[in-house]
Amino acid sequence: MSASYILKRIALIFYTLVVVSLLVFAITQILPADAAVMMLGENATADALEALRQQMGLNDPIWLQYLHWAGGVLQGDFGTSLRTGQPVGPALFSALGTSLTLAAFALVFMLLLAIPMGIIAAVRRGKFADLSVSFISYIGVSLPEFVTATLAVVLVADWWKLLPPAGYVPLTQDFWGGLERLILPVIVVSVMMIAHVSRMVRSELVDVMHTDYIRAARLKGLTPRRVLFRHGLRNALLPTITIVALDVGYLLGGVIVVEEIFSIPGIGRSLMSAIQARDLPVIQAGVMIMATTYAVVNFIADVTYAWLDKRIQYD
Amino acid sequence: MSISRRAFLRSSAAVAALSLALPEFAFAQTKAEAGGTLRVAVDQAISVIHPLLTRVNPEYLAVELLYSGLTRLGVNMQPEPDLATSWESNDDLTEWTFTLREGVKFHDGSPCTAADAVASFEAILNPEMASPARNNVGPIDKIEAVDDTTVRFTLSTPYADLPVALSYNNARIIPAAVISSDFQSLRSKAVGTGPFKLVSYEPDRLLVVERNPDFYDPERPYLDRIELHVFPDLGAQISSLISGDIDMVSTVAPNDFMRLEGQDGIDTLRAASGQFCNVNFGTDIAPFNDVRVRKALALTIDRDAMVDFMTEGFGTKGNDTPLNESYPFFKALPQREKNIEEAKKLLAEAGFPDGFTAELVASDRPAIRTQLAVALKEMAKEAGITINVNTMPHATYLDQVWTKGAFYVGFYNMQPTPDGILKLLFTSDAAWNETRWNNKTFDDLVAKARAVADPAERTELYTQAQQLMHDEVPSLIPAFFDVLGAKRSWVQDYQIHPRASVFRLDYAWLNTEAPTRKG
Repeated sequence: MSASYILKRIALIFYTLVVVSLLVFAITQILPADAAVMMLGENATADALEALRQQMGLNDPIWLQYLHWAGGVLQGDFGTSLRTGQPVGPALFSALGTSLTLAAFALVFMLLLAIPMGIIAAVRRGKFADLSVSFISYIGVSLPEFVTATLAVVLVADWWKLLPPAGYVPLTQDFWGGLERLILPVIVVSVMMIAHVSRMVRSELVDVMHTDYIRAARLKGLTPRRVLFRHGLRNALLPTITIVALDVGYLLGGVIVVEEIFSIPGIGRSLMSAIQARDLPVIQAGVMIMATTYAVVNFIADVTYAWLDKRIQYD
Repeated sequence: MSISRRAFLRSSAAVAALSLALPEFAFAQTKAEAGGTLRVAVDQAISVIHPLLTRVNPEYLAVELLYSGLTRLGVNMQPEPDLATSWESNDDLTEWTFTLREGVKFHDGSPCTAADAVASFEAILNPEMASPARNNVGPIDKIEAVDDTTVRFTLSTPYADLPVALSYNNARIIPAAVISSDFQSLRSKAVGTGPFKLVSYEPDRLLVVERNPDFYDPERPYLDRIELHVFPDLGAQISSLISGDIDMVSTVAPNDFMRLEGQDGIDTLRAASGQFCNVNFGTDIAPFNDVRVRKALALTIDRDAMVDFMTEGFGTKGNDTPLNESYPFFKALPQREKNIEEAKKLLAEAGFPDGFTAELVASDRPAIRTQLAVALKEMAKEAGITINVNTMPHATYLDQVWTKGAFYVGFYNMQPTPDGILKLLFTSDAAWNETRWNNKTFDDLVAKARAVADPAERTELYTQAQQLMHDEVPSLIPAFFDVLGAKRSWVQDYQIHPRASVFRLDYAWLNTEAPTRKG
């Protein structure tokens, strides 16, 4: 891995973000709604609307509006929400923090379960343990979150009364109370990822265990445990990094249903309500923040991958 | 403090035994207890806490806790004193004088005087500020402070409903100093005279208020703290209520209401209301510019079935006027019922012997709009009318169809007065002239009713106005919805309001069965 590889990847991130910003700006221009009307409401007079359009620069040519907006974003100013009249940035970053908290717990929980499940399934291939893991994975993949989330609430909260059914408390405010409310959503979003990752680990490990170098390791007399963990697993786990990076994207944008059901004010929900209210600055900023996070996480994954996998030369 | 008091009360065997044996009796006899935290679930984000700019019920609730108006609306739809203790008008109802409380303080400690009331209403009436209250506070021409505790409103036309109109959700009194310095600052902080003070505010999650020790009534509020929790998912609201995690759900859907009925420790709350979902005709667009066509459609509706289908039975039949028993000055007209023969006859007279095809637009929020559209489609079939239902996102609907379209579904909260709803939707100068019906006789009747103080005479005028609407059918109003809510039984003295946007939580209190919550 060379410095030029990293620089190239960083340049690519910027390129991607510019393209995303152009796309999202174009799309928000097409959405049928007048930002000034959304901001002032149905009661605004024509004069007030016109004044606001002037002030917001809505009458400028689109390319100029884009440059204004992009210039603001580069200085950390994402504009003002049409819905709340508040600056967009702080609200969205707080939502991003909430989503990342959920994502971090879900990823750790998922990896702690999925990797052992994958190993057991690979080692006991074709046996009962393997079949059980496959079965559980299939259920995880096939059940949409609104089903698992509703089931979790009905069983754990409504019937057994073990956990509160919904709500979010920041961990900085009340650590244990917040953690208690994160348990159900973390389990729900993990279910699908466990299915992905455990099956991935299984198939990679099965492949690796059939390679020549594993046979060599066995033949030189290493214990099966050492062969599995030292030589097999190290290689089989590499692709998991990529999957985890992809799952971060899913955890940021794809868990709106879970955020709705458990009343978690994450970035997916912010974006959803912004779209419903045609709150254009929030839509634009939300997409940009998600795209940036996603690009950065994937960049980190790529670099880690390159760093761990010394066999491949990146340049 | 409150914990030890609660513990003491809970250990008091006499109180416990009494409330177990005779709960109704005990509740009726118990004096309101001070203290405790009330958790309320609301179904939409509290996007705006600026008291003059709120637009949806959860925002109205938040602002009601933090600010006062001159008057407030009772559950019986009558005006009650708030910052104003009394009011009177001249004989022709064009000049009203309100006497304000003395010694009221804003949350920042500054005094609230007549000058603040004047500045607040001037801000409300200023088109630049774009307050939704502007259309709802009445025909105010001039407002002036006579002295520190007296405010005089001079009206451009006589208006008997002014004390009710001034209680409007977003007509609140804010400091004159804030208006002149930074009006928009109230989007993120609260400087009111309300029973509670703002502690923290996150639009999509939680708003917390605590008792205002300087509230003008030394007794109220009883609660130490109220938390408004945003639950976008209705099922999660109900689960949290059942688990006791929250104490009150401000709005409940009919199916959840049925699920909650009879649950231990939960009271379901229900009030008949003037809330309705209707079908608007663009009365200036063919074929709906023909009264016969509009009437024919009205005659295809099986209204009992509509009540069942749209409200699950939690509603009342509509008669194609926006008024019902829940409004003051109401007298019922003969009920219009389904009559396919008559409908076909009218269609033939209008030149559509074989019916016609039309597109009915329904926005996707709330879902009830689409339900009404689909039901009407099925019912109109019998008379040979083919309706294609077009469901679209709410923002698109507001932009492209609302107040412009030929045939679309509307949805409205109950207003405090008949004048409120008629002036909002159906007179020629209506704020939202959805039907462009523009009937001068109707306008005159509504204007006349405003200038009359005698209830019997007003009832007569509104009945004539209703009759005109009923005959000309600018809008199909097949059913009214009841307002539904729910609370834990330990929440006392909360009554659900027919208007759905008034809450009066300064009267609510928690009895000894309520869980103790830190906060």
